[in-house]
Amino acid sequence: MPLDSSIYTLSALRLDGRRWNELRRINGQISTQQAADGSSYFEMGNTKIICTVNGPQEQKRGGGRDQSNEAKVEVEIGIAGFSGVDRKRRTRNDKRIQEMQYTISSAFQNTLFTHLYPHSTIAITLHVLSQDGSLLAACLNACTLALIDAGIPMSDYIAACTTGSMASYADKEDEADPLLDLNGSEEQELPFLTVGTSGGEDKVNVLIMETRVQMARLEAMISVGLDGCKQIRGILDGIVRAHGKKVLQSKVS
Amino acid sequence: MAITILPPTPAALPSRIPSTAHHDTASSDEDDDSMDIDDLPSGHQAHSAAIITPGQTVTDDAQWMRGHGTFAAPDSTAIRSTLAGTLQKTNKLLSIVPLRARYTPEIGDLVIGRIVEVQSRRWKVDVAAPLLANLMLSSINLPGGALRKRTSVDELNIRAFFGEGELLVAEVQSLFQDGSASLHTRSLKYGKLRNGYFMSVSGMGGGAGVVRAKRQIFTLQTAHGGGEVDVILGVNGYIWVAKHTAEVEGKGEAVGVNRLEEVASASMYSSQNDDIGAETRREIARVAGCIRALMEGGVKVDEETVRRAYEAGLEMDEREGEAEYLGGERGRSIIEMVLGG
Repeated sequence: MPLDSSIYTLSALRLDGRRWNELRRINGQISTQQAADGSSYFEMGNTKIICTVNGPQEQKRGGGRDQSNEAKVEVEIGIAGFSGVDRKRRTRNDKRIQEMQYTISSAFQNTLFTHLYPHSTIAITLHVLSQDGSLLAACLNACTLALIDAGIPMSDYIAACTTGSMASYADKEDEADPLLDLNGSEEQELPFLTVGTSGGEDKVNVLIMETRVQMARLEAMISVGLDGCKQIRGILDGIVRAHGKKVLQSKVS
Repeated sequence: MAITILPPTPAALPSRIPSTAHHDTASSDEDDDSMDIDDLPSGHQAHSAAIITPGQTVTDDAQWMRGHGTFAAPDSTAIRSTLAGTLQKTNKLLSIVPLRARYTPEIGDLVIGRIVEVQSRRWKVDVAAPLLANLMLSSINLPGGALRKRTSVDELNIRAFFGEGELLVAEVQSLFQDGSASLHTRSLKYGKLRNGYFMSVSGMGGGAGVVRAKRQIFTLQTAHGGGEVDVILGVNGYIWVAKHTAEVEGKGEAVGVNRLEEVASASMYSSQNDDIGAETRREIARVAGCIRALMEGGVKVDEETVRRAYEAGLEMDEREGEAEYLGGERGRSIIEMVLGG
């Protein structure tokens, strides 16, 4: 299903009715599971993710106690069979999932204050219930919320989003607008990248691109992405504040 | 446990607020906070009313010192938060009290733990902290006299004292460099737990869950012929509700070395439960239900609230007929009675 770019240029609206710089509806909740140290539920459009954090806790035996003075961040992603359009069976050692796990783990390893918890493990488990684009970005945002709930110190939020470029061919250079927060069908058509930043200081923690795009368009895409991350940080902050207010109100004594 | 996912909130909420407006409110919050640091009373009980989130600048005034939950970027003097929580001031020290966090051991804490590993001269104990705690063979009361030397026979019989999965109450004796705790049970108050019910309210933080208090171990006089029930509130959020054991208290006044010897050897390391009557079991379950209701209501768990909640639970039974489940609506009215009365 190719994107009808004539519609885009006429009304400047995308397939789902957004403008180029608009995010999808974002909804998040904190402390959804009592049994975990921290948990969250995060929706970015139709991408829906449950995240639980366990830890910091003593490392499991086997492999021995490592001598590093930092906590290890372990990420496990489970993608439900019913989450996508086609029912694909994904194994645990799917290369794509492994790379996402590694990306999330290394991003948080650098943002969390892991040196406060030597010899321990922080285990993050993500369950993807529904996917419609921006999977990695949604995972990162869900992790941020769950880690805040778990009370693990971090220097700042990691907020992530995707950006794409409108035209996928070189001859449509004049139409090449950057697009913010791609959905599933746009992601299949267009070149896109995932960018994750920590805080308002625009420190880029994650930048991943699996498709190809003209060098000239990259700068515009990244700058739109950075702006999107800033918006998402504001939304995440709102979710955390609303949750904190609720918690404080229920604590009367 | 149940996963609670609420239906999405109607479109009005955060996602629809334009980002610029959002940043404005956030920055004005920050301004308020940095201004009222001076007004915030100093001490453990006082917290700011405003929520502080990770990365937020608490203050850039150089007169304040950084406490727990804060950091300063290498190139600036501004104190920024690393946690979501409330601000606490101790003289010139600013720290952030998280809304929820794991237990961190401190010396002198009374904790309840579960043995997870037996090594040659020590046990590894789960106390809900980031790292397992250590209990050395040399820091327990050995049967046959507290002053007896530890021999290699004791080392070989280490499972006779504590085996994997067994519960104990202990005190944090010291902390290691990496923050893990070393426990001791060298008092008749401490030791192996039996005849009761274990529950966990850990990971609450910020005023809910178990708080440090004068008395962590107390006895409830229960109704309906349940007799006396001991409640041990571990600071780490683990709780033990058990049938009252008379022996320690009865002989408490005359515990010399010789008495200690007898008491210790008799039942200290027994893993066999005594007979517990149906009435007592029922009341133990009621106390546990009340504590669970307190936890769900976000109320702190200490001697006073547990006593009040138990009385409220009894009152509810009289008014509305007996029920086994103390959660939900009934839990909320228990909370109201605890806070009101």
